[in-house]
Amino acid sequence: MPAVISESILEGEKVRLRPVEESDLPHFVRWLADREIARWLERLEKAPTLEQEYEWWHDKRADPESVLWAIDTLDGRLVGTTELRLTLRADRAEMGIAIQDKTQWSKGLGTDAVRLVVDYAFEELDLNRVELTADEDNARAVRCYEKVGFVREGLLRQHRLVDGRFGNSVIMSILRDEWEPLERGDDE
Amino acid sequence: MIAPPPVLQGEKTRLRPLLEDDLPRLVHWFNTPDVRYWLHASERPDATLETITQRFVTNWDAEASIFWIIETLDEKPIGNLRLLDIDPHHRRCELAISVGDVDHLGRGYGTDAIRRSLAFAFGDLGLRRVDLLTDADNERGLRCYEKCGFVREGLLRKRRLRFGQPVDMVMMSVLREDWMEA
Repeated sequence: MPAVISESILEGEKVRLRPVEESDLPHFVRWLADREIARWLERLEKAPTLEQEYEWWHDKRADPESVLWAIDTLDGRLVGTTELRLTLRADRAEMGIAIQDKTQWSKGLGTDAVRLVVDYAFEELDLNRVELTADEDNARAVRCYEKVGFVREGLLRQHRLVDGRFGNSVIMSILRDEWEPLERGDDE
Repeated sequence: MIAPPPVLQGEKTRLRPLLEDDLPRLVHWFNTPDVRYWLHASERPDATLETITQRFVTNWDAEASIFWIIETLDEKPIGNLRLLDIDPHHRRCELAISVGDVDHLGRGYGTDAIRRSLAFAFGDLGLRRVDLLTDADNERGLRCYEKCGFVREGLLRKRRLRFGQPVDMVMMSVLREDWMEA
């Protein structure tokens, strides 16, 4: 099942999610060199090289528990990535998202992408819970998740080291019975 | 090749590396209904020698995790304790413990083993935070973790399945600074 999943293309009101391609990687490398973006991402203590980003992409493609998408605007401009990490035996997934092109922040692209991913998790994969952790100081992200319907469940103390300082993470989730399915234009 | 974890001596227990002889024991423990009930992975198929070997030997990530068998001071193996996702950058890890020999439950062995492993995590590994997840209805576990210094940080709704039914879980952690004071 998961092997087919990663080919899914999802279209929302503002963004389209599609599989990441090798030609996307140099854009990620360029954007992630900027601490203003990378500081919010738990996996990145320093800017990745193109080789490291290639390895990351390669590992994700081989991982049956990961569904990774590139986020494009509807006119085809790459702006970031989003991922579901599945734990199928518990009917849940953890999600992550990054609008890496900061000229595209505050336009609702992230919110639209999160909605598509959550809808996919509940309606297509039949999961029961989608969770995520966010840097407590990342007010923009937390607001976006709350808008989509995520609920705060706890505060993880000293959970991440960012630029030499330990910070807290918020853990949030949304359950299937809290989700109103998106209307789909793509049903045949 | 990564060296096996050191033997740690507690007051009531000893933590030692996994030996080949332990594998059938783990199979038995993990399939004991009263033990499996509380396992995060209760939904995995019944354990076999093959799946246990795969999980804890072949596929074991010895760079980012430590597996100890918990034994009594007279060398009777009674359970296991694991440090998982050891993250040297964020300086944290997750702790998982399961006493598989049900005759040794509720007698302070788990508490002793956890305390000893925390001393190792904060002292030898230099970590800042150790966290764990436990079922919200696991009163014995919650009491034991609180006794060891873990603090409740959140309630994760329907976080796992137990024999097909969703179960809430509690996120807990202990920080190095709190642990040093205690």
